[in-house]
Amino acid sequence: MKPAGSLIPVDHFLIMTIYALLISLFFALLWRNERRERVALFVKLFLALVVGALAVAWLMYPFPS
Amino acid sequence: MNEFAGPQPVPRPPALATRRVGSPLAAAALAWIFPGLGHFYLRRPRTAILYAAIVTATFLLGLSFEGRLYSPEAGQPLTILATFAVYGAGLLNLAARLVSANPNGSILSVTYEYGCAYLLTAGLMNLLLMLDAYDIAVGRKP
Repeated sequence: MKPAGSLIPVDHFLIMTIYALLISLFFALLWRNERRERVALFVKLFLALVVGALAVAWLMYPFPS
Repeated sequence: MNEFAGPQPVPRPPALATRRVGSPLAAAALAWIFPGLGHFYLRRPRTAILYAAIVTATFLLGLSFEGRLYSPEAGQPLTILATFAVYGAGLLNLAARLVSANPNGSILSVTYEYGCAYLLTAGLMNLLLMLDAYDIAVGRKP
């Protein structure tokens, strides 16, 4: 899938993963000062966003709109 | 120890650093103009570059996904909040409105909703950076 006018081929999971990556990076930088703490928070946030989204998607699967 | 000696003095916590490294209002204003500029002004160039890269990438991806640069609409009060969020991106938002052929995005695009989320997030991130730059400038954050 490739949106019109965009140079970036994307799919839903990729868009969500990039979003989680950017958000996690941003808040790890903003909320922590030490390198080790930043890496730990980044991993936690990234996993929480991606795994959380997959879990919600899986829970919604039996209830199609 | 004499238990009738009265209350013992409580050790005071160390005072927060209050050394100013720049004007708080200037730092916040520069942070609004372009992501990371406030931190650059506060002599944190590495952090500034990282913030600039993250927020700018988020914003440009939002445009690429054909998201909407919100403006207030009559009868749609939530668009006021969305407009506030998008205008948080500062010059990025203003430049995109001038340059973009379709600032309202393309609602028929499959990535329209994602684009809106990216654009709103970029603006909100930059608003947080304004507050962060202000806090650093007043010595509230190391």
